[in-house]
Amino acid sequence: MDSLLVQHLLNWMVLGSIYTLVAIGFSLLFGLLNVIHFSHGDVSMVAPFVALASLQAFLGLVGSSAPAALLLALAVAILATGLVGIGADRLVIRRFRNSPAMMALVATVALGTAVRELVRAIYPQGSNPKAFPAIVQGNVAGLPAQPVLIIVTSVAVVALMYVLMQRTAIGTRIRAVAEDRDTARLMGIFPERIFAFTFFLASAVGALGALFFASHAGVVRFDFGVQLGLIGFSAAVIGGLGSMNGAILGALAIAGIESIVQANMAEGASYRLVFVFLLVILMLCVRPSGLLGKPVMEKV
Amino acid sequence: MTQPLLSLRGLGIRFGGLVAVDDVDFDLPPSHITCIIGPNGAGKSTLFNLITGIYKPGSGRVLLDGQDITGLPPHQIAAKGVARTFQSSRLFEDLSILDNVMIGMHSRTKTSVLSALLTPRRARRELDACAEEASAILRSLSEELYMRRYEPAGILPQADRRRLEIARALALHPRLILLDEPSSGMDDRDTADLMNDIRRVMRENPGLSFLIIEHDMRLVAELPDDVIVIDYGKKIAQGQFADVRLLPRVQQAYLGQKAVEHA
Amino acid sequence: MAMTATHTHAPAAFPSALIVIAAEVLGAALLWGLLEANSTPVVLALLGVMGAGFALMQIRPQIEDIIVGAFRAARGVALWVGILIVLTYPILLGANTYAMHLVIVALLYSVLALALNFQLGSANIPNFATGATYGIGAYTSALLAIHFGLSMWATLPAAALVATAFGFLLGIPSMRTRDSYLALVTIAFGIVIHQMLNNLSWTGGPNGLVGIPAPSLFGHSFMQPIQFAGIRLPPQANFYYLALALLGLAILSAKRLHESRIGLAWNAIRADELAARSQGINVAWYKILAFAVDAFLAAFAGTIYAFYVSYISPDNFTFLVSVTIMTMVIVGGMDNTFGVIVGAFLLTLLPEKLRIFSDYRLLFVSVVVILFLILRPKGLFPQRQRHYGAHK
Repeated sequence: MDSLLVQHLLNWMVLGSIYTLVAIGFSLLFGLLNVIHFSHGDVSMVAPFVALASLQAFLGLVGSSAPAALLLALAVAILATGLVGIGADRLVIRRFRNSPAMMALVATVALGTAVRELVRAIYPQGSNPKAFPAIVQGNVAGLPAQPVLIIVTSVAVVALMYVLMQRTAIGTRIRAVAEDRDTARLMGIFPERIFAFTFFLASAVGALGALFFASHAGVVRFDFGVQLGLIGFSAAVIGGLGSMNGAILGALAIAGIESIVQANMAEGASYRLVFVFLLVILMLCVRPSGLLGKPVMEKV
Repeated sequence: MTQPLLSLRGLGIRFGGLVAVDDVDFDLPPSHITCIIGPNGAGKSTLFNLITGIYKPGSGRVLLDGQDITGLPPHQIAAKGVARTFQSSRLFEDLSILDNVMIGMHSRTKTSVLSALLTPRRARRELDACAEEASAILRSLSEELYMRRYEPAGILPQADRRRLEIARALALHPRLILLDEPSSGMDDRDTADLMNDIRRVMRENPGLSFLIIEHDMRLVAELPDDVIVIDYGKKIAQGQFADVRLLPRVQQAYLGQKAVEHA
Repeated sequence: MAMTATHTHAPAAFPSALIVIAAEVLGAALLWGLLEANSTPVVLALLGVMGAGFALMQIRPQIEDIIVGAFRAARGVALWVGILIVLTYPILLGANTYAMHLVIVALLYSVLALALNFQLGSANIPNFATGATYGIGAYTSALLAIHFGLSMWATLPAAALVATAFGFLLGIPSMRTRDSYLALVTIAFGIVIHQMLNNLSWTGGPNGLVGIPAPSLFGHSFMQPIQFAGIRLPPQANFYYLALALLGLAILSAKRLHESRIGLAWNAIRADELAARSQGINVAWYKILAFAVDAFLAAFAGTIYAFYVSYISPDNFTFLVSVTIMTMVIVGGMDNTFGVIVGAFLLTLLPEKLRIFSDYRLLFVSVVVILFLILRPKGLFPQRQRHYGAHK
C-alpha cells in the first residue's frame, strides 16, 4: 500500500522532471525570441540516438561495458544535441526572425519532421524501436536508483539554470536581449551570439530530458520527439510562456494528471493523453496566458 | 439646454498602483470641437481608450446621448457611432486603401454568412455600394489617396496614413470622432488642409462632434470651440485656449514647476 | 466635372483568352505528366519546370501580372475552359486507377485546405485541428451509415451539423486566447479527438470502421463504372466527380465569403485585431464563425473520404494530417483560393511520386517546405487586392 504510493509519487516526479527539462527550452527560447521552436522535441530526441551510437563506438574501442562508457556517451549526446540546436537556428529558424509568427511555427514544424526523418535515415534500421539502457541499477536508501537519479539530476540542473540566468554575466546578457534586442546591441552585446548560446543551452537541457525519457522507458524510437515536444510545449504554455517557474509548474501539473490517471483508471495508459490535453484546454480557457504568464496588455 | 453628446462622469482607471486617469468629468455638446491638451503621458490616449471601450473604466461612467455605454465592448461602442484614430496610426497594412475605408462601414452593413453564401448578388451589391461611398470619402479628403485606392495601405507616408485613418473613421457615419494627434507627421500645409477638412465635415454632418488630442498649438488655437487640459490623469482646466493657456497651473503642467517660479 | 480620365483601354479580349487557355492547358498537362510519370528523373524534370516557372515569376513579376490580368479580362473563357478540362480529365487518365486515386485525394485535401484558409489565410487564426474536424465528419457519416443504414446523401448534412457544433466548441477558447496559446488549444483538441477515436470501442478503436457501404445516385451505384457516349470510366470516376463537386462548392463558398463584408472583416482581424474591434467588428464572433465554417467543409470532405475508401481509422486524422493541411495553405498562398488548391495538389502528389526515395520522401518534402517558406514566404500565389464594380 505504502510502497504503491511511493511508486506513484516517484513516477510523478520522474515524469515531471523529464517534462520540465523539455519545457524549459520552449520557455527560454520563447522568452528570448518570441518564437515557438516546434522542433525542440525532435531536436532533443536526437540525443538518445547519439548516445546509443557513441556507446557502441566506445565499447568497440575499449571492449568493456564500464559505466564510465555510458556516462561519456551521455555527455557526448548532450553536447552534440546542443550543437544540433545551434544548427537548427543557423540553418532555418534564424531566417524567420522578422516573419509573422505563423510562418516560424510552420517552418519549425517542418524542421522537426526533417530532423526526425534524418535520424531515421542515418541511424541503422532507424524505423525500429531501439532498446535504451538504464543509467543506474539497484536501489539507494530503499528506493530504486534510476528514478532517484533522474529527479536529483533534474533538480540540480534546474537550480544551475536559475543561477546561470540570475547570477552570471551571460544570464544577464540573455535577459537584456530578451528585454530589448536593439538596446542590448547598443550596450555592446551581440544578440546573435546570445541566441546561439541559448539554443545550445535549451537543446542540451532538452537532450538530458530526452535521455532520461528513453532510459526511463527503456526504449527509444525516431518519432518519440513529437509527443515529448508537444507535452513539453504544453507544460511551458500552461505554466506561462517565458517563465521558468511556469515551465516547472506546468510540467508537474501534466505529469501529475498523467500519474493520477494511470494509477486510478483501468484503461489509464490509453486515456492518459486525453486527460493531459483536456487539462491543457481547460487551463487555457481559465487562464489564457498560463499560470504565471503576464497577461498581455497591448499598448494602444 | 440640449443634451450633451458625450458625458464623462468621474471617469478613472488605474494600472497597478499608477492612477492613469483620475475622476474626469466632461461634457461635449453636439456639433462641437474640443481639443485635449496636456504633457506626454498625462493620460490623454488612455481617456480615449476608456471612451471607446478598449479599457474598462475602474470608476465612473461614460454616457453617449444620455445612454450609459460604460464597459461595453469596443465593437458595440463603435456601432453606436463613436469612431476613432490611433496615436500610432493603425491601418490594415496589407489591405488596399479602399478596403481600409470600407471596413469602417462594417457596423452599417448587414450581410451574414448565410446571406453571403445564398444571395451573393446582394452581398456583392452591398460591397459595391460601400466601395463607391468609400471612394467618394477618399476623394473628398485627398485626390491622391483616391487615385491610389487599390494600393496597399502599408506603403503610405505618415501624413497620408493620418488622412486614411480619418477617412476610415468617417466611413462609420459617426456621431462622435476621436482623433489622436491627427497632425503628427504633417507639415503646415497638411495641417491647414486637415483643419479645413474637419470644418467641412462638420458642416456636412450636423450634430457631429470631434474630440481631438493635439500638440500642434496652431491647430489648438484655431480649430476647437474649447480646450481641456489633462495633467497626471486629472482634468485641470477647461475653456477657450486663449484663456486656458494663461492659467498658472496649465503653464506649470507644461513648463514644470521651476520654470514657472523663475518666470 | 471636366475630363475624368477613365481607363477605357481594356486589353483586347482575344490575346487574354489565348493566354488563359494556354495557361490552363499547360497546368492540366503538367498535372497529367506528374500523375503519369513513373521514373524519378521525369518527376524531377517536371518539378524543375515548375520551379523554373516560379523563379521566372519571382524575377519578372510583370509576367505574373499579365497572366492575372488575362484571367481577370477573360473570366468567362477561364471558367468554361476550366470546367471543360476538369470534366474530361478522367478520360485523360483512362484506366490509371492509381493516378485517379491521387487526384481524388488531392481534391479532398484541396477542400480541407480551403476550409482551413478561412481561418489561417483570411483571419490569421492558427488551427491545428482541421484533421480532427475532418475525422469527426468521417466518423459521424460512417457510424450513421453502418448502424442506421443512412445513405451518404443523408449523412452529409448530419456530419456537417455535428462537426460544425464541434467547430463552435473549439472556437470558444479563441475568444480568450491568441497566437501560440490558441495554437496549443487546437493541437490539444486534435489530439484528444484522435485519442478518443483510438480508444473508444464504438469507433472501432485503432482498427477503425470497415464496411462503409458504397453510395448510389438515382439507382447508379458508385461501384459501377460510368458509361457515357461510348466512353467507359472506372468506378472511381464517380468519386472523382463527387469530390470535384465538393471542391466546386468550397471554391464558391470561399469566393462568396471573400467578396462580402465577412471576408473583409476576417482580413481586418488578420491585419490588426484591435483596430478591427474599433471599426465595429465583433472579433470574437468572427473568429468562432471561421472555426465553424472550417468544420462544416471539413466534415463534407471527411464524409466523401469515408465512403470513397469504405474504411477509416484514427490514423487518417492525426496531428500530422492537420499540419499537412496547414502547410498546403502556406505553401500555396494564404487567402488565395487558386494557390491553396495548387498547394494541396503539390503536397499530396509530391510524397506519393517520390516513393522511389521511399525512406527519404518525408525528409525531402519537409526540406522543400522550409525552402519555400524562405524563398517565397507569401506562398506560390500571393493574395491579391480586391477590386470592385466596373474595375473588377
